[in-house]
Order: sequence, then structure tokens, then C-alpha cells
Amino acid sequence: MTDVEKMRRASPADIDADLRALVEADRVHRRIYLDESVFELEIERIFGRAWLLVGHESQVPAAGDFFCTTLGRSPVIMARAEDGRVHVLHNRCGHRGAKVVNTARGNNKRFRCMYHSWTYNIDGSLASVPLQDGFPADFDLKDRSRGMASLPCVELYRGFVFARMTAQGPSLQEHLGDARFAMDEIADRSPVGELEVLGGMHRYYFRGNWKHQIENLADQYHAPFSHESSVTPDGYQFSRRPGEKGTRIKMLNKDGSPGTESKGQWWFPWGHNACGAQSTDGDQGGEAFDAYRSDLERINGVDRTRDLLTHKRHLAFFFPNFDLHILAQAIRIVRPISVDLTEVQIFPIRLKGAPEQMFNDTVRLLNLTHSCSSLAQTDDVEAFERIQAGLQSQGEDWIRIQRAIDRDVPDKERGGMLGPQFTEAGIRNQHRAWVKYMVDWKEQVA
Amino acid sequence: MTNVKTQGKDADRVRVDDIAAFVHAELDCLDQRRFEDWIALFAEDGFYWAPVAADQASPLDHVSLFYDDVRTMKLRANRLRHPRIHVQDPPSRTVHMVSNFRDFEADGNGLIKFRCNFALFEFRLTQGQHMYAGTYVYSLRRTEAGLRIVAKTALLVNSEDMFPSLSIWF
Repeated sequence: MTDVEKMRRASPADIDADLRALVEADRVHRRIYLDESVFELEIERIFGRAWLLVGHESQVPAAGDFFCTTLGRSPVIMARAEDGRVHVLHNRCGHRGAKVVNTARGNNKRFRCMYHSWTYNIDGSLASVPLQDGFPADFDLKDRSRGMASLPCVELYRGFVFARMTAQGPSLQEHLGDARFAMDEIADRSPVGELEVLGGMHRYYFRGNWKHQIENLADQYHAPFSHESSVTPDGYQFSRRPGEKGTRIKMLNKDGSPGTESKGQWWFPWGHNACGAQSTDGDQGGEAFDAYRSDLERINGVDRTRDLLTHKRHLAFFFPNFDLHILAQAIRIVRPISVDLTEVQIFPIRLKGAPEQMFNDTVRLLNLTHSCSSLAQTDDVEAFERIQAGLQSQGEDWIRIQRAIDRDVPDKERGGMLGPQFTEAGIRNQHRAWVKYMVDWKEQVA
Repeated sequence: MTNVKTQGKDADRVRVDDIAAFVHAELDCLDQRRFEDWIALFAEDGFYWAPVAADQASPLDHVSLFYDDVRTMKLRANRLRHPRIHVQDPPSRTVHMVSNFRDFEADGNGLIKFRCNFALFEFRLTQGQHMYAGTYVYSLRRTEAGLRIVAKTALLVNSEDMFPSLSIWF
């Protein structure tokens, strides 16, 4: 009997027991990356229950603007109504279920289904139905269940739009917890305290499970080795920023030992983590940056500006699939397609009010660091595909995740638990969240 | 032999087959993994660009699949020579093909512009074969050392698609 067959014959209690047995304190079973039935349950229980990043409200600045994306496997539309409110709708016609909007983004007053011309207002309610008299007498355009369904929970934090497919669960505030400070860290760097997400998106894919990518976001241990080919003989990686020092990351010492320095890695409840900064933006130079720093100093004072520009985190990851990449200044969304196929999308972030040149530098650098042709990301993609291939091995069922176990201490300043740079605590923390969503969800909302 | 009309003097006239021979030799550098020779065909201020958006006006305010100046090309080539570039273990084998040369323009001062279509077949043992197609837009400059690439843009038909890892230039 295959795993899928076993699962289909199992009772709900057996399924839960089966899932729970896949994750232990310091190891996980390979089935969490290989088993199609586990993947189906992840779509239902993780992506169907968790707060998910839809995008940023700057992607729909004007009334009628819309942006289409996918949450889990559900096509959704983020759109701004006349009253300024941001709505998140299931991109599905209330009539026969066709995907209503088929363009990636745009602006319109109403959404119109191509099949029978049912039209919808920006909030998803029905605007008109052709030949309505043929429907039962109680057919009412105002009946919300006839329209395009809204996601039951939509909340914003610093312009980041989160939505959830189920009405039950923790508030966004509780879900984000102290991990939300990462969003403040980047937004506060804008002279006006606002971010803009624009400049298109990178899209890469790999033939591997989506969790390989998110675990990589809690893994600084790999960097000096996996990314060795982008390190020059002096032990530094290519420069990440313009200016004299250019904030090159020191990857390797002369003796071949890791040269990266970071404050460590934090983890938070609900599966989130953050990796410590590896270099400081304060070292950045160039005319545009100097002008920007002067602006910040005028608004915030010298000390606060220095603090704002001192990188605290390389990135912050919000379980299950949103990476706020602070150093590269980008949003990364990990999109599970099937158990062994994953798409990753990267969106540049602009600090509103900062010189255009700085955004140009961000865009240019992202081409090198996070595109499909990246000098570093491609190493990770290769690793993800090799894990997927290696896990086919019947030689061993378990993957051990043991680095720096039980070496975390509470961080009183920034919250969360802080461990050493090369810990695997963030990965263990993701797996604990996995169990929370997959098995223990009912207890969480009780 | 097709002579191309130009606005300049006779000395500036370009022959299509000369241009095609240059492009064939350029692409052969990539297929033979002679990356340094390929980069040497670019003018010092030259660049290579593969936009993401179908109508992308600029590489500065929108992401690109590639946007390399000569310095970046050299970074990429150095990495391709690194013994532990994992994404090229095993290495790609590629064939670049071009056709449909058209839209020649010469400004009479040694700058020649044209378009042609391309196909790239890439094979890696663990990846199978990937195929890409699009249009190249070239700007070449005639120098004492020969033709040099001022700008090469690769407009892919599927530029907005999701991509596997790309190691070799289109």
C-alpha cells in the first residue's frame, strides 16, 4: 500500500497521529517532503488556516486597481475600492466557478466574468446578472453568497496586506508577534515611513518541496559553503551596495573557515524567524545615499538615523511562506504548486521618499542576488533539487536537524528567542509550527 | 550578398553576411564555454540585457532576467570557472541558433543596429533539456579592433514566465 492509499483509508484520528509522528524535536520524516497526501493536507491545513501575505497596498494605489496572486492554490484578487479599502477576493465566479480576472493586474470599476457576463463590484458583490428573470424568484444581487467570495480576514500592517481563508484563528497582531518589528525596521528607513512595492517580480521555480526554500531562510550555516562560487579570492562576496565599502559580505577566512559575522538568529511563535544582519547599511556610500541619510537625519536626528540604518536583520521569515528580505530590500513569496514543484516570486521594495537612484540600485542588485540567473540564489535552487532527489533514497527515512539545539536565550530587546548564527533552531521552529497547523489547530482556537 | 542601405558613406556600409558571421562567432563563444572571449566582444561600456516585462522600457526601475555590464559579466564568468559552482555540476551544454536578421540601421558613424530571432537549447544531465526563444536587438560599434557589442538585448517570448536556474546567457 502506498502512503497515499494508507492516508485515504485512515480515520481522521489516524491521519492526525500519522502526521504527528512525522515531526520529532530534532528530526523529521522524509514523507513531509515527498508524500502527495501530506502536501494536500498542507494546502488545506496550513495555507487554508494561516495568515498569508497577499501583497502590499502600494501595489493597488488607486481606486479600481487590482493585483492577482495565489494563496496556497487559491487564485485571489487584491483590489482597492472607491472608499480606499483594500479587498481580497477569491478569483472565482459565483455562478459556474470560472476564474474571473485573467490579467495579472490592472484597473477597472467592475470585474466581469467572460463566461456569462456576471459582473462584480470591487468588494466582490454582484453588480449585474444577464437574463436574471430566469433564475429562481429569491435570486438577489445583494445575496453575498452569490458573489465572488471575500476572504474572511484581511488586515494590514505597515501596508503589508495579510489575509486568511478561515474566520477562526489568532489575530494578525498575535500571529506576527515580535517578528513584526522586522517590517518596522524596513518601513522606518523610508523618510516618510512608507514602502512601495513596484518594479515587477522575479519568478524562479525548482523541482522540490516548498519547505526546502523556507528552511533555507532559517539556515545561515549553508552560506559560506553553498555560495562559495560567488566568493572572490579575498574571501568576500560581490558587493551588495554601491559606494566605497559596498557592504561586501565576508564569506570565508583565509583558512577556509566561515567568515560571516552575524548577531545570530531569532525565532518566534507561529513559525517565524529572523537572521541577523551580516553587514551594515550604515557603511553604504555614494551621492544618492548621502543625500538620503541627510534627509533621515533632518527628520529623525543623527542618533536615531544611525540606529535606523544599522542593519539588525538580514531577513525575517513569516511562516508559512513570506520572506521579508531586508538586506536585498525585497518580498519573497514561496508558492507551493505540487509536492515536488515550487515557484518563488521576488518583488523589489522602494523606500518611499528616498532617491530614485537607491531604488535603481536595489533593482539592479536583485537581478544578481534573487533572480533565476542569480549568482547566489541558483546555488540554493540546486540544493533544493538535490535534497528532493536525495530524499528519494530508501536508505534512511529521517532528516536530523540538530545544530545548536537548546542553545537559545530570550532576547529582551527585540523579542523572540536568540540563538547562534549557524543554529538550526529556526528550522525546528518551522516544524513545530507545521505540527501546530497540521495537527493541533483545534486546540489553538479553542 | 546583400548590401544594406545606410545614411553614411560607402565605408560604413554593412553586409548582412558579415553581421551574421559576427553573431554566429559570438554565440559560438557561449556554446564552446569560451566566456572570456565572449565578454571581450563587448565594448567597455557595453551591456547585456534580458528584460522580464514584455514592454519593459528600462532595466533600472524594473527587474530583469539579466542586466550585466562588463564588470558583472566578468563576475559571472569567474563564477562559471569556479570549481564548486554547484549549479553547473554537471555543466550545461548549449546550442544557440539565430535567424531572421532584419531592421538594419547604420548611423554613418560606425554604429550598426539590427534585430534577429534566436533559439537556445540547454541540456544538463540532471535537468533535461530546456528551450528558450526570442528576439535579439543588437547595437554594434565598428572599432579598429573589429566590431564590438555596445548593447545586446534578449527579448524572450516567455520573459514573464517562471524560470529554472539560468547560468548561461541567452
